[in-house]
Amino acid sequence: MTAETTQPGSAVLDIDSLRIRHHDRDAWTPDGVSFSVAPGEVVLVLGPSGSGKSTLALALDGLVPHVVAADVEGAVRVGGIDTADRTVAELSERVSIVFQDPDAQIVTASVLDEVCFAPENRLLPVEAVLARAEDSLRRVGLWERRHDDPGVLSGGGKQRLAIAAALASGSDVLVLDEPTANLDSAGVEDVYDALREVVADGSRSVVLVEHDLDATVSLVDRVVVLDGTGSLAVDGPVRDVLAGRAADLERLGVWLPTATTAALRLARAGVSFDRLPLTGGELALALDAVPELPRPVQRAQASTPVESEAAVVVRGLSVSRGRGRRARSILAEVDLTIHSGEFTAIVGTNGAGKTTLVQAIAGVVRPPRGAVRVAGLDPATATAGVLAGRVGFVFQNPEHQFVTQSVRDELAYGPLSTGMDPALIDERVDGLLERFGLTEAAHVNPFLLSGGQKRRLSVGTALIGGADVLVLDEPTFGQDRARADELVGLLSDLHRSGTTVIVVTHDMQLVADAATSIAVVAEGRLLAHSPAETVLGDDELLERAGLRLPPLAQAMRRVRRHPEWRSVSRLSQLPGAAS
Amino acid sequence: MSSLGVPRPGYLHGLNPLTKIAVVIPAMAAVIVSREPVIPLALLALALVTVFTGTRLPARTVVLLLVALPVGVAIGAIGFGLWTDPARVDRAMVLLQVGDYRLYVGSLVAGLTASLRLAALLMLALVSGLTTSGPDFVRSVVQHLRVPYRIGYTALAAFRFIPRFRHDLDLIRQAHRVRGTGGRRGPLAAIGRLAGAIVPLLAGAIRHAERVALAMDARAFGAHPTRTERHSVPLRRRDAVFAVVFLTASGAIVVAIVVSR
Repeated sequence: MTAETTQPGSAVLDIDSLRIRHHDRDAWTPDGVSFSVAPGEVVLVLGPSGSGKSTLALALDGLVPHVVAADVEGAVRVGGIDTADRTVAELSERVSIVFQDPDAQIVTASVLDEVCFAPENRLLPVEAVLARAEDSLRRVGLWERRHDDPGVLSGGGKQRLAIAAALASGSDVLVLDEPTANLDSAGVEDVYDALREVVADGSRSVVLVEHDLDATVSLVDRVVVLDGTGSLAVDGPVRDVLAGRAADLERLGVWLPTATTAALRLARAGVSFDRLPLTGGELALALDAVPELPRPVQRAQASTPVESEAAVVVRGLSVSRGRGRRARSILAEVDLTIHSGEFTAIVGTNGAGKTTLVQAIAGVVRPPRGAVRVAGLDPATATAGVLAGRVGFVFQNPEHQFVTQSVRDELAYGPLSTGMDPALIDERVDGLLERFGLTEAAHVNPFLLSGGQKRRLSVGTALIGGADVLVLDEPTFGQDRARADELVGLLSDLHRSGTTVIVVTHDMQLVADAATSIAVVAEGRLLAHSPAETVLGDDELLERAGLRLPPLAQAMRRVRRHPEWRSVSRLSQLPGAAS
Repeated sequence: MSSLGVPRPGYLHGLNPLTKIAVVIPAMAAVIVSREPVIPLALLALALVTVFTGTRLPARTVVLLLVALPVGVAIGAIGFGLWTDPARVDRAMVLLQVGDYRLYVGSLVAGLTASLRLAALLMLALVSGLTTSGPDFVRSVVQHLRVPYRIGYTALAAFRFIPRFRHDLDLIRQAHRVRGTGGRRGPLAAIGRLAGAIVPLLAGAIRHAERVALAMDARAFGAHPTRTERHSVPLRRRDAVFAVVFLTASGAIVVAIVVSR
């Protein structure tokens, strides 16, 4: 399957039958992977979670095995040099890396110091250090902000700084490991605009590990796909792989561009495409070329009880932080009613006040008296135990919520503290363990669970008190697609069984796929709270809130020939769904 | 390199951080051994003069120094005065008597001394504290005291953890409160809650530190015994001048006060 597109001699990076096993694992991931990267080439590495993409990224500049101990077989050659023979410091001149978490890779107190860090460590003369720093900062558009503290940059700004700092090391290969997983959609655009600038002159090769293909597909030359066991599945030019082998990739559990996924489903429903589209624009053109399309599927769960009772009522809620001159308003006069049985997404840019709003609703931070009623209680006055019986809150990082030594104790903790009958508690705990697939792990320490298990446990602890309102704060932040999908599936199940779900998120496709209603928050004010279709159809509103349409809706807006398809925004509206 | 630096608003900013620390040490020693209020008061004044002439302070800091400092000293004087053991002070004059309790003028003088000594130490520390950046301090320690740069710069990087950990701790406390850990009151329950927060905090901290270490290694940190310094933080003639002037002034003040007694 390995399409040898370049001569071995001309490759800047050559991966040869590479197998890696971490010391605490049994499996080799990646397992026997070979591919090479030509000068100026942009290579995207895809694979389901657990296939060893991040380990592979760390091996490219020698961090595996020099810093992160692991068994390594095969070889990684950088410019003909085997990484096993050189130190990480020497390799850093040839390969530099940008990591996922912006805060965990910034080490100095100014933007300029940050980009100077690598060349200074390499003992370059001062003039050379400054020349490289200026060049790198100008490329990512941060030169004017060189005296700022990196802490004041936005998430996207911090990642651009990390890219500049990597460029300043003077390497010809740039490795990016999930660089946008912690960013909102504006930050993702910000990072890819900068990266497009970096690869524009073809002087640097890029190896990119990323699951947001909608943002990246236009700048990638080649795609390398690993399968679930870490073996090489496909290697080839971007269109041959993503469009030509789309069905195979979908089977592997690899995320495709939204346009390709959509086309694949329509193809199953009998729509024929000359070639599968990769971008929204291509999808729209392809659909316009088809004379007849099936009708979009009507929403199955449009059964939100219209006249159901209100689960959450917010009236005139204002919150401010700080005092005196430094006081600033976070929320101003918010009125919001969420009915029982709704799946409400709360969306808005960073700092709009979304988290403050849901924290007030769930009583995490006590709201002013009388401003909020949730399931008949005022969170300003109710005790934590009583409140937990009506509304469950799931934090962004599940670990923050753990207070005991085992999964079973964790679930039983809340009910025990309210004095519930132990027999009844046991029964409920068993039920939830079963429901969330944690029965096997009942006696494991919560900190030792896998990421997906931790998330399910945190949802379980929020629900065990009998709450029928569940509030989640950015539950998919920093997670890969598979784990995010698993969570959305779980939430949709809960919603179908009657739980009112309120979720703060910046993942607009999640919003489009799962939410029945959307609340839009901007600068501390509630701009709208309407059925999901209404909000997603209101471009002017989304723009005012600084939001972008989900990728599928963006594509469908451009369809001319089939007006009934122009308002489609969720994948479940496409006929021919895989399930 | 000054074209890249922040504009310098006063002569203290142009001095080597080590000079500013070294020259106040004799004065601090004098404050520590002094047993009466005049020497601390005089050296407090010297430190204030140095800070006001040597740096352009924001209005808020000026107000803080000119209003809050005297108020703080006064409150400290009364507080320490009430606290002082009456057996060890001059009991010639009684300032006020409530039942059996007598507050002596001597107690108040002792309180004032303690309070002024603290204020003088604080102000002397601020001579360098208000005018030195963390990175410059690390640079000069590495350059002049031969502290390995790996230690200095790792400390600087670690310093950036603090706001993150504070944020994490707030989140953990909120999360635990939601779980209903806030039900019990009292010091034991509070200790229990803190202990419960430490595990998730440490788990996050260790992961964060590992990531930062990887990012630093990937950028050749520790590749050589030394690293390029864009700003050298040299010891210049102005450092010598400042040292002579400040040491002479503080020495003269102390000698004059001691001799005049």
